[in-house]
Amino acid sequence: MKYFAVLFLFFFSLKLCAQQKQFSLNEDGKYVFYEVVDVKTISKDILMARAKVFINKLDKEVVKNHVLTDTSIFAKGKFVIDKTVLIAGHPSGEVSYNLTFEARNGKYRFWLTDFEYIPYQRNRYGNYVATTKIGTPLEKSTSKLNMGEWKANVSAAYNKVEKLSADFKEFLSRNPIVNPLENNKTKVNDKW
Amino acid sequence: MKLKLLLSISSLTFGSAVIAQTTTQTTPLEISGSVDTYFKYDFANQPNNIKTYFDSDHNSVSLGMIDVLLKKKTGKASFVGELSFGPRGQTQSIPDAAAGGSSFHIQNLYVNYDFSDKFSMTAGYMGTFVGYEVISPVANFNYSTSYLFGAGPFQNAGIKATYKFSDKVSLMAGLFNDWNLYKATKGVSSVGAQLMVAPLEGWTAYLNVLSGADPYGYGTIEDLTTSYQITKAFKLGLNAANYDVKGSDAGYAGVALYPQVAINDVVSLGLRAEYFKNKDVGGVIGDKYTAATLSANIKSGGLTLIPEVRLDHSGTKPFLNRGSSAVPNAGQFSIAAVYAF
Repeated sequence: MKYFAVLFLFFFSLKLCAQQKQFSLNEDGKYVFYEVVDVKTISKDILMARAKVFINKLDKEVVKNHVLTDTSIFAKGKFVIDKTVLIAGHPSGEVSYNLTFEARNGKYRFWLTDFEYIPYQRNRYGNYVATTKIGTPLEKSTSKLNMGEWKANVSAAYNKVEKLSADFKEFLSRNPIVNPLENNKTKVNDKW
Repeated sequence: MKLKLLLSISSLTFGSAVIAQTTTQTTPLEISGSVDTYFKYDFANQPNNIKTYFDSDHNSVSLGMIDVLLKKKTGKASFVGELSFGPRGQTQSIPDAAAGGSSFHIQNLYVNYDFSDKFSMTAGYMGTFVGYEVISPVANFNYSTSYLFGAGPFQNAGIKATYKFSDKVSLMAGLFNDWNLYKATKGVSSVGAQLMVAPLEGWTAYLNVLSGADPYGYGTIEDLTTSYQITKAFKLGLNAANYDVKGSDAGYAGVALYPQVAINDVVSLGLRAEYFKNKDVGGVIGDKYTAATLSANIKSGGLTLIPEVRLDHSGTKPFLNRGSSAVPNAGQFSIAAVYAF
């Protein structure tokens, strides 16, 4: 009984943690994902260069039309939401967003906002394509009939943004490294 | 400082190559499909009064089909396999697989290879590129289908190449078997092409032509299929087609307009207004039809309910009234439930 109670509390706390993962609202009432990151040893120029490379090398369909200044980047992006059951599933829609990045010496900040959802529908060839070009703001309230599906979309969007954010931060924090493949090469020469 | 910056950028180039590689990874196996069922009542209590496809059974809760699709992409290669079971995807579709002892119909079975971002080739059995409506009820707004849909091809087996000039223009050209057949009876006898243009955000138009062997003999079909999402709530679609049988006056022509308005995120209303004419052959006047179909789409998750009222008119009196006399008008009500997964 004691173990059962502990297990129950463990899973309940896990569920609470999962529920806490959600977008916050900005002053315009829109969902926003905002982070300020201290990187004391990295200059503004390096941060800008790294951020530019990260955005440029993403799939062209994912991030496009970015605008640069000396200290900031503005880009539009999108990612696909998948409807997955166990190991199989299919795309169910896409979420577009605006990304703003600003750098200073030793720190940077970025935020993603203006999330809009466009549902996918299967076309005559069995491919999932956008049903419209006009998205619905992710923070817009929906009817009771579709509330469950909408909440799932918002949750999936948050997870995608969190993953993108983690990749971005990891990329910006990366020190110059030697290509690891170079270290793995076996050298056969006279010095043995 | 500059050296540090250069080192940083060179290391990032390697790192970014890793990111670029991740975008072309193998995708998981996609499984999707649909299930549909319907009830129809003909106002004159006559079975098969309006003879367009699929919602054919009168005063009966009847089956559409279960449709299952598999798709997978590995690098630049992908396949799609789609099978349907049930009247809509079996005996009511062409070819009638049941006649050959099968109990299913292949909707799509093809492989595709993306040679580049712009150029791809596809071979196999595919949903036709001609026309506005399709067999799957998931991709149609109205549950009943148009005269244009019934007269045109459903599927084409063949090989096609698509070149994407930009997001606004692409061109497809291909060689195909005769319509709706798993294997050719007259050889690879048709040529087809599709020009896609997207002149405005939300507006897409397809100009299609298919010429060669078909169930009517040999002929050529020209088709325009377009839709424009004018506002978030209002969408307008149009399909116009002309078909001529080679060496004959026979053929058909028609046009259908599809205005649709979203009342909210649950309910949408859509009208299909169609004019269709079989061409005059010799002294025989071809039938003319006008049809108006008003449908609602009520969505909850994967489920869509489609209540629908349809009124058809033809001066040649092809319909029957309650007394079984020939009349120029027919009407029906239907309600369908379509679940997409």
